[in-house]
Amino acid sequence: MNDLDHEWLRRARHLLDRSTQVLDAESLARLNRARQAALGSRRRRLAPVWGGFAVAGASALALALAIGLQRSPPGPVASTPVGVDPSTVIATADATDDDLLAADDLEFFEDLDFYQWLDREGLVPTPSAPTPGRPL
Amino acid sequence: MNPGDCAGSTDADLDLDRFLRGVERRALRMAEMACGQRDAAFDLVQDAMFAFVRRYADRPPAEWAPLFHRVLDNRLTDWHRRQRVRGRWMFSFFHDDEDDGDPLDAMADDAEPGPLGRLADDQAGTLLDAALRALPLRQRQAFLLRMWEGLDVADTAIAMRCSEGSVKTHLSRALARLRERLGEFQ
Repeated sequence: MNDLDHEWLRRARHLLDRSTQVLDAESLARLNRARQAALGSRRRRLAPVWGGFAVAGASALALALAIGLQRSPPGPVASTPVGVDPSTVIATADATDDDLLAADDLEFFEDLDFYQWLDREGLVPTPSAPTPGRPL
Repeated sequence: MNPGDCAGSTDADLDLDRFLRGVERRALRMAEMACGQRDAAFDLVQDAMFAFVRRYADRPPAEWAPLFHRVLDNRLTDWHRRQRVRGRWMFSFFHDDEDDGDPLDAMADDAEPGPLGRLADDQAGTLLDAALRALPLRQRQAFLLRMWEGLDVADTAIAMRCSEGSVKTHLSRALARLRERLGEFQ
């Protein structure tokens, strides 16, 4: 190409470049949306891969914790939630156990027939009014 | 919104965004010259962006320009073929036509300058726009990719899916027709 051709092409490129600079705001916004949509499609395509890694990692961690807990010896004190006084929890647990497993209650249920017979025969002693001066 | 504003963006996203931002306006002009319609040009460019990102985003950035234009050129060619089929279907009511040679080589775009051409603020830009639209698709693509987009002959051949010799032939014919039509436009 000679100098005339170069000048002709330089002029043509200049005019073409200028034609891209007169695009209106709506056209530029439309191009931007198209570009972002294309890039977003790539991110969405890659996202399941990382999500799969996260799920696999969480599953492995849960499995390791389960195995660790199964193999560890039982401790004397159960773990308590954060913010809860351990003594309260132990006392409540003890009281519940006492209520359920009290020997007296078991004997009462074993002797239930005897107490029903006493009731039928009218032999159940009625509580008497407290005597003054007598301790309750 | 820019990708940099998104917490999940990676360096690859930013590189892709930068590349597409750099070529999108010229791509829109090329598409508009090819199809003569702004809305259709937007659709073609957006479709090309999606296909390019899906197929070639993982390729080295140095290869992106010819690959993007290959995708866009493919869509422009498809668009012209669809238009031609539609035109032939209508034309066949009146004529029996024989297909001789590659129709794309012989096809001229005589579409009206369109909104962008009308917005050009000097006569030279309008004349150049009209002359480019009048070129056959392959000649215009060879001219725009080589002389405007700056691709070398090898990359232009990749983009146009043809041999380097064909690129030179198309470019030579395009330059001759443009010079003939425009002369020493200033």
